[in-house]
Amino acid sequence: MGSVMEIVFWVALGLVLYVYVGYPVLLAVWARLRPRPHHVDPQSLPGVSIVLAARNEGRRLPGRIDNLLSLDYPADRLEIIVVSNGSTDRTAQALAPYLGASGRRPRVRLIELDEAGKAIALNAGVAAARHDVVVFADARQRFASDAVRQLVRNLADPSVGAVSGELVLDCELGVASSTIGDSVGTYWRYEKFIRKLESRIDSTSGATGAVYAMRRTLWRELPAGTLLDDVLAPMRVVLAGSRVVFDETARAFDVTPPDAATEAQRKARTLAGNYQLAVLEPRLLLPFVNRVWLQFWSHKLGRLLVPYALIAVFVSSAVLAPGRPFYIAATLGQVLFYALALYGGRLEQTESASALAAEQQRSEQTARRRAVNA
Amino acid sequence: MPDAIKRAARVSFAFVLMNVSAVAGLLRLLRRREVWK
Repeated sequence: MGSVMEIVFWVALGLVLYVYVGYPVLLAVWARLRPRPHHVDPQSLPGVSIVLAARNEGRRLPGRIDNLLSLDYPADRLEIIVVSNGSTDRTAQALAPYLGASGRRPRVRLIELDEAGKAIALNAGVAAARHDVVVFADARQRFASDAVRQLVRNLADPSVGAVSGELVLDCELGVASSTIGDSVGTYWRYEKFIRKLESRIDSTSGATGAVYAMRRTLWRELPAGTLLDDVLAPMRVVLAGSRVVFDETARAFDVTPPDAATEAQRKARTLAGNYQLAVLEPRLLLPFVNRVWLQFWSHKLGRLLVPYALIAVFVSSAVLAPGRPFYIAATLGQVLFYALALYGGRLEQTESASALAAEQQRSEQTARRRAVNA
Repeated sequence: MPDAIKRAARVSFAFVLMNVSAVAGLLRLLRRREVWK
């Protein structure tokens, strides 16, 4: 029994350490020993179709379209395709002033679909695209003015099929009004560090959905209900033999999720999407078919196994603890860690409540001021 | 409480949250519930 538990403890601990520490170290060494630089041409300005799938984003879209129209890119080589996916708000009316081509600004088109899901909306957007390069965008984020230029310069290398840009969260710039900015910012920086290293070796395991470019010929229709379109589509580029690189100079900006509940919802979706990928595209799991299978297993699937490994580490160390100082220390260390996490949760809860109270107070003051003025 | 401990507590919380979310995501997928709002 003791030796079985010891095996469980060390295998589970090894998995957790490999996924979060060993894998990034392996990547860093690999990227140093066998880097695969690719050719970049800043003068390359291919025709670009920006595809933006939106559902009930009528309030945000005018600002977002203004942002895309102000990009530093030749207007005659750019088009913007908004795919409204079952919107029931005033999306079409909000976009009406922008539709069509006008003078020197890029053409804006709207495709209206019944509610079919984001994957089908993206399929429709790419099918309607007239240019050879498709850039994917979301309604909430904003692009830096040179984001598209920076993305497409990487496609000058024929071996590159897709390029992921960098999403910068406001918590990284120190301006977030989020109670979990610290932790989300730390996690996101770590994630981008891994993507950068993966890109140096070959390809990243997916792209950032809010800012990435792909050759249109490499797009394969996404199945309805795909949760992680920004991983499935780029991984299919890899399976087709091309590279997916990460360019941190192609930047989009976003806000940090306001609280832990929102972040948990987002994470649940992302991690469920990783399970779904294995079902939708099982070739990704195979070493002789997917040349970045080690990265895919380590980066995407390893994280799905970590929660169960953490439970195994805790239970096995507790069982082994009686009379064995090492396992007593290991168990106490974990208790301390989880107590710290509980304290972190309590801090988040308190700050969320204060933020909510402050927001309510502001709303009341505004309402009172309006009543006095009226 | 020192700021360094508060920061460590927040990062630990985020790590635990991520792992709880991984299990929650799988359960929702198995129950075919909407997970991508």
